Amino acid sequence: MSADRLFNLGFDLATTISILALVSIGLAITFGMRGIINLAHGEFIMLGAFATLTGVRQGLNIWLAMALSAAIVGVFGIVVERLLIRWLYARLVDTMLATWGLSLVMVQVVENVYGSVTEGIAVPVGDFSVGAYSMSSYNLVLMASAVGGVVVTYVVMRRTRYGLHARASVQSPTMAESLGVNTSRINMWTFGFGAALAGAAGALLAPLVGVIPTMGQTFVARSFMTVIVGGPAFVAGPVSASGLLGFVENVSTNQFTPVIGQAMLLIAAIVILRFMPQGLTGRRSLR
Amino acid sequence: MNALTARSRSPRADAASGSLRLDAVGAAAAFALFAVLANLVEEFTAFEWTLWATQAILALSLTLVWGQGGIFSLGQAAIYGVGGYTYGFWAINLADNTGETLTAVVAAAAAGTVVAALLGYFMFYGNVTDVYVAIITLATSLVLFAFVNSTSGTAYRIGDAPFGGYNGMTRIPRLTVRLPGAESHELTRTQFFLACIAAALVIAVIIRVIARRPFGRISVALQHNELRTELLGYDVRRHKLLLFTIGGAIAGFAGALFAAWGRFISPPVFSLAPAALVVIWVLVGGRTSVAGAFVGVLVVKGFSSWFGGASGDNEPIVLGLLLIVIVLALPGGIVPSLQRARSWLPSRRRTASESTSSPDELRHIGAAATLHDDDDQPERRIAVQGVTKRFGGLAAVDDVTMAFQPLGVSCLIGPNGAGKSTLLALLSGQLRTTAGSVTLDDHDLTKWHPYRRARSGVGIKLQVASIYKSLTAHENLWLACYAKSHNVESAQVRSSELLDWLGLSDDAERPAGTLSHGQQQWLEIGMVVGGNPRVVLLDEPTAGMTRDETERTAALVTELGKRASVIVVEHDMEFVRRLDVPISVLHMGSLFAQGTFEELSNDERIIDIYLGGRHADAASE
Repeated sequence: MSADRLFNLGFDLATTISILALVSIGLAITFGMRGIINLAHGEFIMLGAFATLTGVRQGLNIWLAMALSAAIVGVFGIVVERLLIRWLYARLVDTMLATWGLSLVMVQVVENVYGSVTEGIAVPVGDFSVGAYSMSSYNLVLMASAVGGVVVTYVVMRRTRYGLHARASVQSPTMAESLGVNTSRINMWTFGFGAALAGAAGALLAPLVGVIPTMGQTFVARSFMTVIVGGPAFVAGPVSASGLLGFVENVSTNQFTPVIGQAMLLIAAIVILRFMPQGLTGRRSLR
Repeated sequence: MNALTARSRSPRADAASGSLRLDAVGAAAAFALFAVLANLVEEFTAFEWTLWATQAILALSLTLVWGQGGIFSLGQAAIYGVGGYTYGFWAINLADNTGETLTAVVAAAAAGTVVAALLGYFMFYGNVTDVYVAIITLATSLVLFAFVNSTSGTAYRIGDAPFGGYNGMTRIPRLTVRLPGAESHELTRTQFFLACIAAALVIAVIIRVIARRPFGRISVALQHNELRTELLGYDVRRHKLLLFTIGGAIAGFAGALFAAWGRFISPPVFSLAPAALVVIWVLVGGRTSVAGAFVGVLVVKGFSSWFGGASGDNEPIVLGLLLIVIVLALPGGIVPSLQRARSWLPSRRRTASESTSSPDELRHIGAAATLHDDDDQPERRIAVQGVTKRFGGLAAVDDVTMAFQPLGVSCLIGPNGAGKSTLLALLSGQLRTTAGSVTLDDHDLTKWHPYRRARSGVGIKLQVASIYKSLTAHENLWLACYAKSHNVESAQVRSSELLDWLGLSDDAERPAGTLSHGQQQWLEIGMVVGGNPRVVLLDEPTAGMTRDETERTAALVTELGKRASVIVVEHDMEFVRRLDVPISVLHMGSLFAQGTFEELSNDERIIDIYLGGRHADAASE
C-alpha cells in the first residue's frame, strides 16, 4: 500500500472518530454526570445545525454562526432543564420518556418552520491533496474541534470550581448539598453545558450532512452506544469508545457500505457490553 | 403495581383457576360484543378496527415485557416490523403453492421469537439493565431501519419477494386459510377483524394467566429487586430472556397480522416514531394492566386525530406533549399512581416501639420446629482458599484462607474497611474473586453465579435490608420459599409458618417497605431461612436495632446455628459477646486473629486495630 493511500485511510479514520467524539461528548456529560438519558440529544444536534444554517442565511460569518449556535442550544438546554428535567432526576425511565416526547415535538416544530427539504451549507474551506488523494480541509477543522471539545471538557471538569462542585454532586448529592453546593443549580449548568456541546457538534456537522429535521435520529443511536461503551469516565470514556467504534465503523464502511458500517458499530458495541458490562473505563468488576 | 400483585397477595391455586374462568368469560363476552358490532357496521369500519386490534396485540407484548418484568424495551415495534416482513416473504413465496398464509403467520411469530432471543441473550447475559436495555433495543431498531431502507433494487430479494427499500414491500397476500380437503379461502374483512380480535383477547388472557402463575410473580419480583431475586436462587437472566422472548413472539405475530391487513410494510416501522408510539399506548393505558393496552391504543389514536390537525402533520407534537404530561403528572399511569399514594402512609419506623412484635415473641423461636422443612440435605462446609478481591489498586480482601464449621455460628469482626462485607459478597457470589477459590464441600463455587450458590444452600442477608418493599411481607416470604420448593402450595404453607415464627403475622399483608426497621431485617432473615440454607451469611443483622430487637435477633441466630453454618458480620460487641461463638478478626483485608471473645478481648493487638495505638497509621485508612 502506498504512503498516500495509507495517509488517506488514516485521515478518513480520524474523521470518523472525530465525528463520533463530537456527537457523544455532550451526551457523556449529561449521562455520566447526572445519569440523564437525554433522548432529545440528537435533536439538540439538529437544533445546532439549523441555528447555523439560519445564521449563514442571514449573512453571518459561518464561524461566528457556529459559535452562536452552540450558545443558543446551551441556553435552550438550560430552559429544558428548568422546565422539565429537574423534576425527573433519579427517575431514569421517566427522564428518557420525557426527553423522547421533547424530541418528537422538536422535530415536528422545526419541520413546520423549515419544511422537510434537505438544506445545505457550503463547506467553508477548500481541499488539499496528498499524493493522488484529495481531502477536505474541513475535516481537519472537525478533528481540531473534537480535540478542543475534549480538552475544554477536561479543563472545565477538572480545573474549575464548577467542575469540582459538579463532580461532588455526582458522587454524593446529599453530602455536596450539606457542604453548601447548590446541586440544583449545578445540575442546570451541567445540562446546559452538555446541550451546548451538542449544539456545537450540530453546527460543525451542518456543512457535511444534509440539514433536515430528522437528522438527530442518525446520531442518537451512535452517540448513545459510544457513551455506554465508553463507561463512566466522562472524558476517557467517550474518547476511547470513539476510537474503537470509529475504527470499526470506518473499516466496515470502506469494505462494504455505510449501512453495514453503522450495523457493525452497533454489533461491536453490544458484544463489548456483553463482556464488559461497565464499559471500557468501568472499574467495578461486578460479577 | 396492579391487579397482578393484588392477585398474588394471597397466592391460592383455587382462586387462580377461578379468575381464569372469569377472564375467559370476560374475553368471550367481549368477543361476542365485537362479533355483533362487526356485523352491524360497514365492512370498511371493521377493517379500520382491525388495525386497532393488531396494535393492541403489539401493545400487549410491551405490557408483558415492561409492565410485568420491568424490561423497558423500545424494540417491540421493530420486532413487529420483522414479523411483518417475515410474513411478507413467506406469504409471497409460498401462498401460490400452499393456498394459505397461516404458516406465514407462524413463521412471523417464530422470527420475532428468534430476534428477541438473540437480542435478549446479549443484553441479559451481558448484565445489561434498565435504560441500557432501552438504548440497545432502540439502536437495534434504528440499524434495522437504515438497513431495510438501503435495500432498494433487485439485488435485495428473497425468492419472489423484494425488500423494496424505502418504498417497502407491496402486494403482500391477505390472510388465507385452507382446511384439509377444502378450497383455500381468503378471509373477508369482517372475518379477519374477528380473527384479530379473538387473537388479541386470547393473548390478553394468557398474559393474565402468566401474571398469576409463579413465573409472573417472579417477573414482578425481579422488577422490584433483581439482586434479592438472584440471591434467593432464581436465575434472573434466564427468566428475563424467557420473558423477552415471549414478548418477541407476540410482537412478531402482531406484525404478521399488520402486514396481512395493509398488504404492505415499509421501513419506517423500524424508526423512532412507532417505537415511541408503543410506549405511549402502554403508558397511557397503564403499563401493568392488560386492558390498558386496548384502551391506550384507542385513547392515543383519538387524541392524535382530534388535535393533530386535518393532515395529521402535528401528530408528533401531540404525542410528544402527551408523553411529557403523563411522565410529569401521572408517572407510570393511573393505577401505579394510586398505589404509590398508599405507601405514603406514615412509616411504621416511628411507631416501632408500639409495634405488634414485642420481646414476648421470643418464645416463638424456641418452638421453631419448622425452621427447616427437610433433613435430606447434609450440613455443608464453606471455605475460602487464598481468596483475594481487588478494586482497582485496593485489595479489599487479601489472600484469606479459612474454613467455617458446618454447624454453629461464627462471627467475623474487624474495623470499617477490613473487608468483612466483601468477604461475604465473595461467598454469596455477588462479587467475583480476583484470585483464590471458594468451595462448598467438594464443589468449587468460584465461578458460580449467586443463584446457583443459593440453590446449593448459601443464603445471605445483606447489610442494608434487601427486600421487596412494595410487595407484602407474605409475598416476600412466599418468593423465598418458592425458590426452594418450586411448589405453590408448600411455599404458601411454609411462608405462613415463617410469618408466625418472625412474629409478623399481623403485618403479613402490609407492603414490606412500611415495616419497622427491625422487622425488615427479620423479614430478610426469614427470607434467607425460607430458602432452607445450609450456610447462612448475615451482614450486620442488628444494625439500627433497639436493645430488645437485638436480644431477639441473638436468640434467632443461635437457633439458626443449630441447623446450619451461620456466619455473622457484626460491629455490636455486646451482641457478639452474647452469641459466645468462635470469632475471626479481619484487618485490612487479611485474617488477623481467631479465638473466643474472652481470648480476643485480652489481645492488645485487637484493641490497637480498633482504637489506634501502634497500628494507628494503618487503621486510619
